[in-house]
Amino acid sequence: MTRPALDRLLPPEGVPLYFRIAGVGVRTAAQFTDLLITGIGALAVFLLVLALDIVSANTAIAIAAMLFFFIRIPYYAVSELIWNGQTIGKRLMKIKVVSVDGQALTTQSLVVRNLMKEAEIFLPGTLILTLNAEALLPSILALLWVMGVLAVPLFNRRRQRLGDIIAGTYVIHLPKPILLQDMSKAVRPPSAAQPSFQFLSYQLEHYGAFELQTLEGVLRSANRAKGPDAYKRHKETLAAIVAQVRRKIDYADPVRPEDQQAFLEAFYKAQRAFLEQRQLFGDKRKDKHHAIQSDQG
Amino acid sequence: MSNADLIRSARFRQEREGDWRRLSDLVDKAEGQGLHRMSFQEARDLADLYRQATTSLSIAREISLDRGLLDYLEALTSRAYLCVYAPQQRLGGIIRRFLTTGGPQAMRASWRVILMGFLCMTAGAVAGYFFYFDNPEWFYVFMPSELSGGRGPDASTEFLRASIYGEDSGSGLGAFATYLFSHNTRIAIFVFGLGAFLCAPTILLVFYNGLILGVFYALYIDRGLGWDMFGWLSIHGVTELSAICIACAGGLKLGLAVLFPGHQTRRAALRAAGHDAVKLALIAAMMLVVAALLEGFGRQLIQDRTTRTAVGWGVGGLWLLWFALGGRKRP
Repeated sequence: MTRPALDRLLPPEGVPLYFRIAGVGVRTAAQFTDLLITGIGALAVFLLVLALDIVSANTAIAIAAMLFFFIRIPYYAVSELIWNGQTIGKRLMKIKVVSVDGQALTTQSLVVRNLMKEAEIFLPGTLILTLNAEALLPSILALLWVMGVLAVPLFNRRRQRLGDIIAGTYVIHLPKPILLQDMSKAVRPPSAAQPSFQFLSYQLEHYGAFELQTLEGVLRSANRAKGPDAYKRHKETLAAIVAQVRRKIDYADPVRPEDQQAFLEAFYKAQRAFLEQRQLFGDKRKDKHHAIQSDQG
Repeated sequence: MSNADLIRSARFRQEREGDWRRLSDLVDKAEGQGLHRMSFQEARDLADLYRQATTSLSIAREISLDRGLLDYLEALTSRAYLCVYAPQQRLGGIIRRFLTTGGPQAMRASWRVILMGFLCMTAGAVAGYFFYFDNPEWFYVFMPSELSGGRGPDASTEFLRASIYGEDSGSGLGAFATYLFSHNTRIAIFVFGLGAFLCAPTILLVFYNGLILGVFYALYIDRGLGWDMFGWLSIHGVTELSAICIACAGGLKLGLAVLFPGHQTRRAALRAAGHDAVKLALIAAMMLVVAALLEGFGRQLIQDRTTRTAVGWGVGGLWLLWFALGGRKRP
C-alpha cells in the first residue's frame, strides 16, 4: 500500500501532526467551482442592472467586466477569512489552506495568496483566452507565463504555487476522523464449542508492528465481505493466513475452519499486548525483520 | 468484557473515548457555524479537549499499535487544531487597521523601491520626450495605435485641442468602468505580477509606459498645448501614474527578494518582502479606482485648465499626506 504524500506540521502544542497535501488536480477543480460561483454571482447582478434599464448596451459590457472583477477579487480572500482557509469550492472538495509555521492563518497571508492568484492565474488565463494569431509575441509570452506558473507547484514538495510561497501557506486535504472498533475487544469469550486459544511468549516473538496492523486490516474487513463470492474469498484468505501464522509460530493444535476468525482475533490480541509491552520497555519492533536489525545495530 | 481483561492500550482508549467524541461534536459545530457563534462554555471546552487530545495522541503514538485508533486520533487532533487556530480578526477591524496604520507604514518602509518606481517612469518619460523632438516619427514606434485614438503628429492642432476639452464618448458610470479597464490598470497588474520574475519585466514595462507618456506629452508641447495637456493629465494622471509606480515598487520588492535574498533563504526572503508588497499592491488598486472615478466623472464635469490641475494635484497631495502621516505613533 502506498501512502499519499504526508507533510509534518508542528502546532504550538509541540505534538507534530501529519497532513495529506492537496494535489494540483483537486485544487484546479476547486478553482473552477469558485469561478463558476463568482461568474453566476456577477451574472445575476449584471442582469439586475440590465433589468433596471439605466445604461446603454455599450456601457453595459464595460460594467459586466467591472462587476466580474469586483466580485472575484474580494471573494477569495474574504471567504477564506470567514471559513478559515476555505472557499466554497474548497469546502466542496474538502481541502483547506494552512500556514506552514503551524500558527493560525493571518489576514495578511490570505490576501497575499489571493492577490497573487490574480497575477498568476487569471491574467495570463484571460490573455490566453483572447489570443489571436496576429499578436504572436504576446501570445507566446502569455503561454510561457502560464506554463512557468503551472510548473512552480509541480517542483516543490508541498505543491505551493508562487502566491503560497510568498504567503507561507499550503493546501491540505481535510482529514476525516472515524472511530473504528477496537479489534482487541472483539475477542469472543471461550465456550464449550470453541476453546480459548493460548499463545506462549516465544510464539509471539516472530512478528512486528507492520504484520500486526496488516492483520488488523484483514480482521476489520471481515464484516465488509458481502455476497457469497466475497464471503468465499474472505474465507480462503483467512485459511491462508491461519496456515501461515500456525507454521511460523509453531502452533501445534489444529484450528477448525469455523474457528479461523476467532483464532486470528485471539492471536491479534495476544500479539498486540505482547508488542505493546515490549514497546513500553523501549523495544520497538517495526516488522518481522526486527531481530536481524537489532543484531546489526 | 471486564476491565481487567483489556490490554493496556484498550483501557487507555476506553477511558478517553467519551472526551474524544465530545471534541468531535464540538469540532463539527465549530466548522459548521464558526467559532463566533459558540457559547463561552463550548469554546472553552473545545480548547481544553483539543489540548487533551494532543496529549492523548502523543501517548497513543508511544503505547498503542492499534492502527484504527491512531488514524482516528491523528485526524481528530488535526481537525481540532485547524478549528482552534482559526484567524480571530474581524473583517471591519482588518480594513480599518490597514487604512489607519498598515498601509501608510508599508509605504514609508519601502520608500526606496517606490522612488525606484518613479525614477523608472520619469526616465522613460524624459527619454520619450527627447525621442519625439529628435524625430516625431518615434511617436508611431512607441504609441500603440489603439491608445492614441487618432492623436498623432499628423493630426491638426484643432483636433488635439478638441480631444482635451471635448466630450468623451461615454460619461458617468460607463466611462468609469471603461477607464478602470483601460491600459493603465492592466499595466499596474502586470507590473506587480511580473515583479516576482526577477524585476526586469517590471522595470521594462514601467520604462516603456514612461516612453509613451513622454512622446505623447512632447506632441502637445510641440503644438503649444503643453499646459492644457498638463491639466488634462493632472486630474487623473497624478493618482493613476503614481499608482503604477507604487505597483511597480511592490513588484520590485518581490523581485529584489528573489535576486538578493541576503542571509535568508529565497523562500523566506520572498515571504518577508510579500508583507509590504501586498500592501503596496492594495494601495495601488485603491488609487486606480479613485483615478478611474476622476477620469470618468471629474474630467467631464471640469473643463477648466486651472481647476483640473488643482484637483489633480490636490488629490495627489492628499495621498501624500496619508502616506506621510498615517499610522505614526503619537509621541
